Amino acid sequence: MNRVVITGMGWITPMGHDIESVWKRLLNGESGIRRTTIFDASTFPTSISAEVKDFRLADHIADLTRHAGAGRNTQFALAACAQAWKSAGLDGVTLDLDRVGIYLGSGEGSLDFDAYTTAALSAWQGESNSLDTVKWAQIAFEMMNVTREFEQEPNMPLSHLALLTGARGPAFNCLTACAASTQAIGEAMEILRRGNADVMIGGGAHSMIHPFGVTGFNRLTALSTANDDPPRASRPFDAQRGGFVLGEGAGMVILETLDHAQKRGARILAEVVGYGSTADAFRITDQHPEGEGAVVAMTEALRDAFLSPADIHYINAHGTGTRENDGNETVAIKAVFGQHARNVPVSSIKSMMGHLIAAAGAVELITCVLAIRDQILPPTMNLDHADPECDLDYVPNKARRATVDAAMSNSFGFGGQNDTLIIRRFPA
Amino acid sequence: MRRVVITGIGIISPIGIGAGTFWRNLLAGTVGVRRIQQFDPSGFPSQIAGEVPPYKIGDFVPKSYRKATKVMARDIELAVVAADDAFKDSGLKSKAYTDSPSFDSKRFGCNIGAGLLSAELNELTAAMNTARDGNRLDLQKWGRDGMTQLTPLWLLKYLPNMLACHVTIIHELKGPSNTITCADASSHLAMGEAFQTIQRGDADLAICGGAESKVNPMGLVRQCLLKRATDKHNDSPAQAVRPFDVDATGLAIGEAGGLFILEEYERAKARGARMYAELAGFAATQDTYSVTEPDPTGRSYANAITKALADAHASPADIGCFVPHGLGIPAFDRAELAGLKLALGAALDTIPFCPIKAQVGNLAAGCGVDAAAAVMALHTGQIPPAINTRKLIDGVKLNVAGESRSAAVNVSVSTVYSLGGQNAALVFRKI
Repeated sequence: MNRVVITGMGWITPMGHDIESVWKRLLNGESGIRRTTIFDASTFPTSISAEVKDFRLADHIADLTRHAGAGRNTQFALAACAQAWKSAGLDGVTLDLDRVGIYLGSGEGSLDFDAYTTAALSAWQGESNSLDTVKWAQIAFEMMNVTREFEQEPNMPLSHLALLTGARGPAFNCLTACAASTQAIGEAMEILRRGNADVMIGGGAHSMIHPFGVTGFNRLTALSTANDDPPRASRPFDAQRGGFVLGEGAGMVILETLDHAQKRGARILAEVVGYGSTADAFRITDQHPEGEGAVVAMTEALRDAFLSPADIHYINAHGTGTRENDGNETVAIKAVFGQHARNVPVSSIKSMMGHLIAAAGAVELITCVLAIRDQILPPTMNLDHADPECDLDYVPNKARRATVDAAMSNSFGFGGQNDTLIIRRFPA
Repeated sequence: MRRVVITGIGIISPIGIGAGTFWRNLLAGTVGVRRIQQFDPSGFPSQIAGEVPPYKIGDFVPKSYRKATKVMARDIELAVVAADDAFKDSGLKSKAYTDSPSFDSKRFGCNIGAGLLSAELNELTAAMNTARDGNRLDLQKWGRDGMTQLTPLWLLKYLPNMLACHVTIIHELKGPSNTITCADASSHLAMGEAFQTIQRGDADLAICGGAESKVNPMGLVRQCLLKRATDKHNDSPAQAVRPFDVDATGLAIGEAGGLFILEEYERAKARGARMYAELAGFAATQDTYSVTEPDPTGRSYANAITKALADAHASPADIGCFVPHGLGIPAFDRAELAGLKLALGAALDTIPFCPIKAQVGNLAAGCGVDAAAAVMALHTGQIPPAINTRKLIDGVKLNVAGESRSAAVNVSVSTVYSLGGQNAALVFRKI
């Protein structure tokens, strides 16, 4: 079985568009959460979000001709991938492109909102409470644009990355809600371990900051409604937490077999050593209260990595800031780590960056790589009120120097999808 | 590496519910492409689809789960129906049927491909209607109270991973779970991934494949805008889809669920399970040509076939039945033929081909149904017909027949590709 390492990273986040400046801001405890500007959310229960600001794809990619119609999620993916590719030193390198693959956990694109809502409302028949589909079709064909429609397909970020990089190897997109890009990187690692590729681009991109995205999460009462103080709204593990804050962005890593990376003299940032994936099989709305699926995902990842709980020096939590997740995740960590649970620092960067949904896991894994590189842990901000249910060391409010040789990243998705990755310093 | 066999097939398709019914109708040449029934399609240039027969979702879930069917989009229902069929076919008793299941739930994975789920327009527009400003949605009204017209769980109806989520809850499957969303390639990619998960020992069993319905106004409008759906056969749906035929004019949209139970070989043997076939090879590749047009060289598509055959230690001459993607869109069919030539060489002239979309339409993420045809051909020694492939494009030779035929099949192959360029090939072998 091949060993797998990370040799490049890139991200587009609500706190900036390059690895180093965002990392600094995370360590400073800054916030990317503001009032929503992408649409008029002023009357929505939640009118704040973590938007990617001042983003121009042209700043990241020279030739935009093949990406003219790319949606917002795909543009984030392209920019993050271009960064990762460059940071891996792959620009200008001759690769066997049949052995370069892509595995993304990207979300769908945003609806063409005006066309979608206007076609529907124009064709609504109040008398029968139903849509006149003949009229709907007429307006839809007038208003809808073919490119905007197909670019919403969840495989489009993947397809654009293939055009950008020329990668012709194994190509997948998974969409397991908030766990997607963690899962994508885990499955990309399995493809490399097996020897079906030499290089894999792994990661995800997503934006759900649009009216129906916010509607969906607001109806589920999953979002924070602390609209008056945006930077303080996301409060993972705090007793006064009231839900997550929706973010958007992309995170991409370049994964390689150790052999391939060493042969080309690549700079190795970390080794990916463990992956676990499970289903709660419990309820569509709730996580398992004892975090059963999460426990098995973490345990499987440890087993896969041949590591014991005491070897893990940092956990980047899913830590959404919802009442349910943070309590359950704490219970699950205790179940897995036993007596070590209180010694392992756990933090959630969602307190600063919001929740990037499908892209969250990739961005958080990159944070783990940086924590290992710089031997420092990003804080959980806004942790001001102790919750008896959340009694671990969450690195509250201030970054902390620490010895970090191995780090774990958790992602849990709606519907009981649990994924865990473990990375290690390289060489160990 | 461990061997993996297929011990259950579950299908809901335009030509029948249940794998057995599907197979009988496929061999008989029955066409499930008809005028659309679920809504009035007369405003669309293409008005036909492969629609599944009427069903009651409550018949396919345990009584205690009937309430949850209210939050299932049609795509989810199709997966749930196919999963019920697959379990019943496999002889494995899941939590849906017994309190003491016949397997360790943590060793049972789930990998179901899904599409971009479309919100039910009637439900959403009824809510939007309370916040309208003329024909536009007033966002302030919507934010204030319009959105409260929607059920709190509205979002969960449309998340692609809810297909797997409901299936794992109903049958209590706690192993590795994933949802692949690569359009028409989703099912095969999901099956390939589940296959490798069992091979390497991370699970002993998995339910995998895919489900999707494009038979709704948004699904149809997108295929029409892309000029993929044929507008020439609204009055002759049975002749509409013509894979690789000179008179091909486009696809018919469709809907289906096609799921398989994969099982580690020794485990299947020990319980005396019926084994349809061994899943012996898989490969996935990517085009780098365009996000909307096929690569005319068929290069990456060919690579998927070549690598999957190598994975199975098989060669083109071993193939006894080939189920291609065969959309019936000329440019795509040409590219696929170019890829087939590259991968199969001289064997292309003799391998029996059965593009099944003439009978069922394009089932998108439900193309697991196409893979089922390849598995059943191998299992039964019957090759389904290619009913509308009469005169081949560009004078190509392809071994197709208008009616089903008997043949010993030791190796069969099913391939798909997506709009966006993902290619996948699966190779099945007789046990």
